Amino acid sequence: MNLSRSSFVVLAFAAVFALAVLLTARRMRTTERHTFTWLAVCFVIAALAVWRHAIDEIAAAMGIFYPPSALFFGALAVLLWLVYRVTLTVAEQRQQLKRLAQEVALLSAEHPREDASSR
Amino acid sequence: MHSKHLVVLLAYNEEACIAETISEVRRVVPGVDVLVVDDGSADATAVMARRAGAVVVSHPFNLGVAAGEATGLLFAERHGYAALVRIDGDGQHDPAFIAPLLARVDDGADLVIGSRFAGLQSFRSTGLRRFGNQFLARLLTTLCKRPVTDPTSGFRGFSARAIAFFGETHPHDYPEPESILMAARQGFRIDEVPVQMRPRRTGTSSLTPWRSAFYMIKVSFALLLERVRTT
Repeated sequence: MNLSRSSFVVLAFAAVFALAVLLTARRMRTTERHTFTWLAVCFVIAALAVWRHAIDEIAAAMGIFYPPSALFFGALAVLLWLVYRVTLTVAEQRQQLKRLAQEVALLSAEHPREDASSR
Repeated sequence: MHSKHLVVLLAYNEEACIAETISEVRRVVPGVDVLVVDDGSADATAVMARRAGAVVVSHPFNLGVAAGEATGLLFAERHGYAALVRIDGDGQHDPAFIAPLLARVDDGADLVIGSRFAGLQSFRSTGLRRFGNQFLARLLTTLCKRPVTDPTSGFRGFSARAIAFFGETHPHDYPEPESILMAARQGFRIDEVPVQMRPRRTGTSSLTPWRSAFYMIKVSFALLLERVRTT
């Protein structure tokens, strides 16, 4: 296999990114599901670095004349999907947080504080 | 043993007038229970309300008017109230109209809207806000297939059935217009009672002309979305 210098740069980037993801997972700062997703992204980046003509073949299969456009399209589609998933999670957690605050408020009526301010 | 009627006052930084509003409610409609939902006030709203004799529930931080109303409904549902009237804590809603709203709920209505445009002359808001209100009123009248004259009024009464429903399923962002459409889709009886609005006793409105226009667009979108929801 003949790898160019640019391939090594991209492979190094994918490796560093994967290492960062794994270290974050090791410190329990993310969930297994998100770890898996980001490791999969690292794997795809590494695969594209090794298989250098993949973008050309994918672009041809999709009928895209300029191969980098296929890369941008693919990256944008994946990022859009990830951002959309994040907004769904934020909305769900906003609802959960609101409900939790309401339950705290209802409990505050049963155990009122008589301090000078409400804080 | 508590009353079967609950008056919910929504308050955010209203320490200057909340006690007076509570006193006025107690004077005009004696015998009702008064709950103040303190929406994360930074001042002494909760303390002043408690001293004035109201039960107070305090959000740990500001959640907005929709969550405030929902908290009042949850409280009413858990304590078995037969009817609830929600008013603002800033004194804009005249407590003299609480009794007619409760009477209409006792008469079988599920959601009673205190309408500023159903006959009585009220404190006059800006032209842009009146236009926005009329636009939403027409939209809601079309979507609900019944006349709605004041879709943004926060002066509203709920029956036990409506309390149970809205306690669990409450609109996220625009409680007044969205809940009217939700009630219509549930087959609830919706009535309107003419009310008068007063100028607020303290503070200023957060609605600028731009915000009013943007509010109208967002509410219209939310209503169209609500129309196609599954529940």
